[in-house]
Amino acid sequence: MLKKGQTSAAYLFLAPFLITIGIFFFYAFARAIYYSLTDFNLFNTPKLIGIKPYVDVLSDPSFRRALSNSLVFAVITTTLQTIGALLMAVALNNKIRGMAFFRSAWYMPSITSSVVITLIFLWLFQRRGVANYAITQWQTYLPYTLTLLGVLIAAQVAQVLWERARGLPAGWFDPALAVISLLIALAVTATLSWTGVLSVRDVAPYDFQYFSDRWISIGGARLLSIPMLVIIIQNTFTTIPTLMLFFLAGLQNIPGALYEAADIDGATPMQKLMNVTVPMLRPVTFYVITVGLIGTMKMFDQVAVIGSAAPQDTLITLAYYVYINTFKAGAAPVNLAAAAAIVLAAIILVMVFLQRRFISSEAV
Amino acid sequence: MKKVLKKALFVSLAVLVAAAGSASAQTTIKINGYGGQDPAIVGDLINRFVKPALAKDKITVVYQPLQGDYNQQLTTLLAAGNAGDVFYVPGETLDGYVATGKLLALNGVVNTTPFIKSLNDAFTRNGKTYAISKDFNTLTLIYNKDIFDEAKVAYPNDNDTWTSFQNKLAAVKKALGNDYYGACLAPDYARMGQFAFAAGWQPFDSKGKTNLLDPAFVSAFNYFTGLSKDKVGVQPSEVSQDWSGGCLASGKVAVAIEGNWIVGFLKDNAPNLKYGTALIPKNDKTGKRGNFVFTVGWAINAGTKNKAAAAKVLNILTSPNVQQYVLEQGLAIPSRTSLQNNAYFKKATPGAENSKVVFQGASSGTVRPYYFGNKGPDWAKPISTALAAVLSGQKSSADALKQAQQEMDTLQNR
Repeated sequence: MLKKGQTSAAYLFLAPFLITIGIFFFYAFARAIYYSLTDFNLFNTPKLIGIKPYVDVLSDPSFRRALSNSLVFAVITTTLQTIGALLMAVALNNKIRGMAFFRSAWYMPSITSSVVITLIFLWLFQRRGVANYAITQWQTYLPYTLTLLGVLIAAQVAQVLWERARGLPAGWFDPALAVISLLIALAVTATLSWTGVLSVRDVAPYDFQYFSDRWISIGGARLLSIPMLVIIIQNTFTTIPTLMLFFLAGLQNIPGALYEAADIDGATPMQKLMNVTVPMLRPVTFYVITVGLIGTMKMFDQVAVIGSAAPQDTLITLAYYVYINTFKAGAAPVNLAAAAAIVLAAIILVMVFLQRRFISSEAV
Repeated sequence: MKKVLKKALFVSLAVLVAAAGSASAQTTIKINGYGGQDPAIVGDLINRFVKPALAKDKITVVYQPLQGDYNQQLTTLLAAGNAGDVFYVPGETLDGYVATGKLLALNGVVNTTPFIKSLNDAFTRNGKTYAISKDFNTLTLIYNKDIFDEAKVAYPNDNDTWTSFQNKLAAVKKALGNDYYGACLAPDYARMGQFAFAAGWQPFDSKGKTNLLDPAFVSAFNYFTGLSKDKVGVQPSEVSQDWSGGCLASGKVAVAIEGNWIVGFLKDNAPNLKYGTALIPKNDKTGKRGNFVFTVGWAINAGTKNKAAAAKVLNILTSPNVQQYVLEQGLAIPSRTSLQNNAYFKKATPGAENSKVVFQGASSGTVRPYYFGNKGPDWAKPISTALAAVLSGQKSSADALKQAQQEMDTLQNR
């Protein structure tokens, strides 16, 4: 193994890393544990007071809200982004023209700053935002869209039935017939519009407040707030591409022979996905879920950017709870913040442990 | 090559030492305050008043604005020992800073008698005064004259009651229709609490607890949220604004409830808007009006190495000359009793009129400092959340207040 003198050289090269992790992780972590057992308020000389801060934190309703928000957010977001990333990776693993373009385009949301994306989402979902505007437009032009859709379906059905009556094998989604149906539908809608039968509806602007105290509750228990739902959508949107990259790399390692064998056995694309791709990607999936859970449990920036634009209860997460209890005006319950941070770390540790215990990281 | 590098290093070191040497002969007083317009205003005051007065004492004064969340940044600087020698302290967050032990008690350091008593009280805890009020503000009704003229409705005036004011707003809405609104109602304790004071509500009982189900509070809450009925009043967000000042500047809203800070904003953003100012309407039953006093004070860092110099700077910044200058520029309302009869208040410009009404507001009816008790800004959140929920029609007033009281109880029992 190492010759004499080599150990010191190894330590020398490791030193920058060891010193950094020593100061910014081990020292900071030990200090946080210490503070969580004192009456520290950022300005006084800390005095040990035992586990009282933990008792206070656990009985604090806003901590409980933060805990439930964080868990709900972590579970939903991790599920959505893992499935989304897998499907997107499979789609982008095909050999079609312009794949490089699609891969870069799909990756864009990931390299944009999350603060910027949050601001964009805040703007999309404000009361007079794009989301409400789009819904208003949809309602205004509903007569047109419904007519178009109705005529399209009717024309398609009529055509298919006519083809079949002539003994020709036509599927319900036959593209050639669909084009003709669409043209007929467009013509009918345009004629009705010109003759004045169809006109836009006069609807009041759709006025849904996304960043307000609204909840999706199950059995009277508030589970997920609408502002949090917006963040889930946003976070899924921005994280999918990053995770997709891992799946894409994993897909390259699946031997093509497996798919060929599946083809010979007459497997459908769905069967190939479920029985070849998913099991072979298990190590990557394990990694993606772990990273996803840790990332979502620690989610902070989006909440901080939205800040007071939404009621605090609807968005507070554990990381945000730690933050607001550390930075107040003047003296702050830093001991509570430290205790909450330790609880958060413990929860993440337990989650990862359970996952390791029950989800195998080996490919089958 | 090596020689050149060595030489360069030596020269730069020498320059550093020289710079440090020259700085030590001078005392530097660092001031922390808000960003925004304040760096220009305070910079101007420093150049006009502080520098000439302190030139012979070799005291240099620098203003370091804290951008973003002022309280948070000041706290960080105080904890790290890097805060200025003199800094702003908002009246509503004073308790948090007193608890840090980083504010110098000014008793015996600064003479507080020339300042308005209620403002001194706002910065006094247990007989110790921790800051000198820089200036103050109260709430007023600022109305768009053209909208009232167009609707042929009388302007709001100082004799208006809750009912007569509401009727005027409803008449404006009726006359001008869908595109115009009577008032902008910000879902914020700081814009609604004054009505509760008028109705006789006390924010804290003898045990320091808050009762939001008190009939006086409920009546004020229902009055304020009731103004939104039939779209007579709207929230700023409904007209794509982030505060009532923006509503008024848009020319679509007849009345905003704001303080003197709106004057500068209107000058910049709606220079042609013709506006007037009236006092907050009186409660029909009690015949009284209510108001908040908003104030920011100058405090001295207890850890300053130059206490005497800091006190000198503070005294100059709160001197009669400075306050008179600030008032005449239309920037803020002075905290000195002697300036109450200043000629500026008698001017006929809309800005001066507003200043006068803000000044009167501080002594008309039940006036309380904008203050959250010992739980800090979290105290006002349940009230503001309830206001938002009712104004946007998500909850009934009774439900919203019940929930707010629950949240208030958990907060105060913590």
